[in-house]
Amino acid sequence: MATRLSIPSDEAVRWLAREVLPHEADVRRWLAQSLVAASETDDVIQEAYCRLVDLDDPGRIRSPRAYFFQTARSIVLEQLRRQRVVRFETVTEIDGLNIEWDEPSPERIAAGRKELERVMQIISRLPDRCRRIFEMRRILGLSQREIARRLGVSENVVENEAARGLKAILAALAADEAPGMTRRKA
Amino acid sequence: MSASDLNPIDAEAAAWAVKLDRPLPDVERAALETWLTQDRRHRGALARAQAAYCLAAAPAQAAEPGATTGRPARRWVLAGAAGLAASLTAGGVFVSALQRQRLSTRLGEIRRVPLEDGSLAAINTDTVVEVSLKPRRREVAIERGEAWFQVAKDAARPFVVEAGAVRVQAVGTAFSVRRKSIGAQVMVTEGVVEVWSVDDPGGARRRVKAGEQVFIGDKAGAARPVSRPLEAERALAWRDGQVVLDGDTVAAAAAEFNRYNSRKIIISDPALEGRRVVGWFRTNEPDSFARAVAVAHGASVQVADTVIVLGG
Repeated sequence: MATRLSIPSDEAVRWLAREVLPHEADVRRWLAQSLVAASETDDVIQEAYCRLVDLDDPGRIRSPRAYFFQTARSIVLEQLRRQRVVRFETVTEIDGLNIEWDEPSPERIAAGRKELERVMQIISRLPDRCRRIFEMRRILGLSQREIARRLGVSENVVENEAARGLKAILAALAADEAPGMTRRKA
Repeated sequence: MSASDLNPIDAEAAAWAVKLDRPLPDVERAALETWLTQDRRHRGALARAQAAYCLAAAPAQAAEPGATTGRPARRWVLAGAAGLAASLTAGGVFVSALQRQRLSTRLGEIRRVPLEDGSLAAINTDTVVEVSLKPRRREVAIERGEAWFQVAKDAARPFVVEAGAVRVQAVGTAFSVRRKSIGAQVMVTEGVVEVWSVDDPGGARRRVKAGEQVFIGDKAGAARPVSRPLEAERALAWRDGQVVLDGDTVAAAAAEFNRYNSRKIIISDPALEGRRVVGWFRTNEPDSFARAVAVAHGASVQVADTVIVLGG
């Protein structure tokens, strides 16, 4: 697959946020059941996003959730095949894993909403100024520059704070803390 | 799990995702391109970080799963415009059929309605508003409840909101008016408005600027405006169907949820009322709020069809 160097388009990012990110926790859970070493889960996820963001016309994908699962699965299979010694059972086990990649039902949409709520919970626990920056973006749709102006700080300060908050969100998304599930060791 | 456990690629991706909010100068752009060429995973991590930033910081509808369009603004404008188009085509001609328009919301309902003059109204729960767009003057009467307006500029046609005896006048600006029993609360989010009460013997007008809020008594007229820009933004989260709590008391927060829902929250333990809560909730999910309070303050919660009881 050719590597494209351009920065992801806004449209592709919005599609990922809307259709892909809400299913990441489930894909990670599936990867945990599969034979992927926990340390490699992030690699698989990153590679999957790289393929998904390069799709020419993501709108034509009927079930982005299923597509996300399939992409992750084929990355795992490629990795296994690249390894020198692959037990045949390993590959069949991967194929046989039960994946819930059906069309979004109301429950699935609710699950996606839960993910959004989880992100909101993380934001609510951020340090004060950091949290306000996210709120001002979300409620008023302000740019970081405008937020900096209103808070009376430099744009750089807003950037650092926003990056800090975003890191906390990314860490939490990777932590697989689904309701009723115990945390998996990273 | 803390952010320090984050893998280094994701951490770097987060820093770039945030920088991309502004146009990158050449030096930074070159650095980013270099980083992206080093490893395919970098590009994936960047896309993921941008998506998470979009989900976390974009207006609510933008990233909500199951939404059919990626354009947040468009979605609600279209929803409002559908009604507009229907009433226009009913007459068969595109004349100003909408000079008078009565808009109302049920308990828990929030509507965004584009007005014929290009202004936007966001109407909060349990509200009745009457809009009259006259050639010389745009008038909106709030019979009860609360609404926020983003007013299209038109110097020849002042935009005047009536809430009982209280008047709020704007040319091109954004503000909310909440009608109360003895007056109205006004919050300005953009520009400047003028407020007064027609029942105030002095009849003095006061100017209220962006970031300020003011209470205008029917009889007493306008108090001194206070500047609370962050408070105003938080207090207007209802436009996105949200309640944002930032150190509010449990009693005040419960009252806020009760504005939106027929299933009322009842606090059975007085000691709980003064406790403070922080959080972000949907207006129509009082049970999430009650459970959060229960967890945070070790309270009990009973959720029934008609009431939610929070106890000690």
